[in-house]
Amino acid sequence: MDELELLKKDWQKEDNNYPKLTYNEIYKMILKKSSSIVKWIFIISILEFVLWSVVSFFLKDADYNQRFKEYHAESIMMPFIILGYVIIAYFLYKFFMNYRTISVTDNAKVLMENILKTRRTVRHYVAINLGYMVVSIFVVLGIQFNRDEQMISVIEKASANGELFKFYAITIIIVLLVIAVLIGLFLLFYYLIYGILLKRLNNNYKELKKLEV
Amino acid sequence: MNKELEHSFVELLEKHQNIVHKVCRLYTNNYDAHNDLFQEITIQLWKAYPKFRGDAKFSTWMYRVGLNTAITLYRKSKRRINTQDFSDVQFKISAEAYDDTEEQQLKLLYNAVRQLNDIEKALVFLYLEDKNYNEISETLGISEVNARVKMNRVKNKLKTILNP
Repeated sequence: MDELELLKKDWQKEDNNYPKLTYNEIYKMILKKSSSIVKWIFIISILEFVLWSVVSFFLKDADYNQRFKEYHAESIMMPFIILGYVIIAYFLYKFFMNYRTISVTDNAKVLMENILKTRRTVRHYVAINLGYMVVSIFVVLGIQFNRDEQMISVIEKASANGELFKFYAITIIIVLLVIAVLIGLFLLFYYLIYGILLKRLNNNYKELKKLEV
Repeated sequence: MNKELEHSFVELLEKHQNIVHKVCRLYTNNYDAHNDLFQEITIQLWKAYPKFRGDAKFSTWMYRVGLNTAITLYRKSKRRINTQDFSDVQFKISAEAYDDTEEQQLKLLYNAVRQLNDIEKALVFLYLEDKNYNEISETLGISEVNARVKMNRVKNKLKTILNP
């Protein structure tokens, strides 16, 4: 293509009027902080880990815990709590290992894949936490239905009035609604944060992948 | 030791800074964004510099880090107020009656290249820098055949932009 050759000739001219930065100007630049998306992904991911640890810590710490002691349900709750710690340890480890592989000197495709992989780890962590939360809610409800005296008396009353099915149905519907709202909020948060942050990266990655087909 | 490293890095970058300016020229539209991207590439180069091995040429290594920063790591500058858009200037020119001087043609060409997507720009950039298809494929992480195919498509796309 003649045009591109013309462009090449001009492009390679040395006197292309580029700014000429001095030694000191460049030196000042290396002291500044990066604002790359990798840095933002790191900060947001760490915040997510902290947020979820705080949430689960407060859930375990609440006076809730006291009540559970009364139910004598430690044998059910303990494995759950331990599982929670194993999950966070595993994902933190995986996150850091993935993060460390991100290198600006890799080729473009590998670099993009490594960034996306790091993000995927955090996404899985959050998804598993949401799943964990949903299962916990049902386990807690199950324990309360069986062992909470107040609850048992409510159930007995409902059963005497022949409204046992209605009682269970209403409880489950309310719980499901709460879960749906929570998950909806998370999806919205994800859509906003990562939609903006990773849109360009995703587009470019798709463009590179398209070349392989 | 660190001072020595800083000194050798800044000296090398000062000497080869045109490569970074060229990346910025393709990927930004205004003066502020150009400076912003230049700074981010400098930071990324500096962060990666301790791992830079002398067996690769500094300039070759810069192409990779510069393009990776422009395509993947850089978040577009938000400071776009009160700055003149390069493309606006060029748009005015292209709207004028076509003048077949070389300079005029070059302006239209630069304008056309700016309309390509990030990956296409990277291909054009490496092509303009006279890199062979092996180097292009290694920098982008695609096969050599695909690099050739894509380059042909980019050439056609440029033709379409220039002669709609």
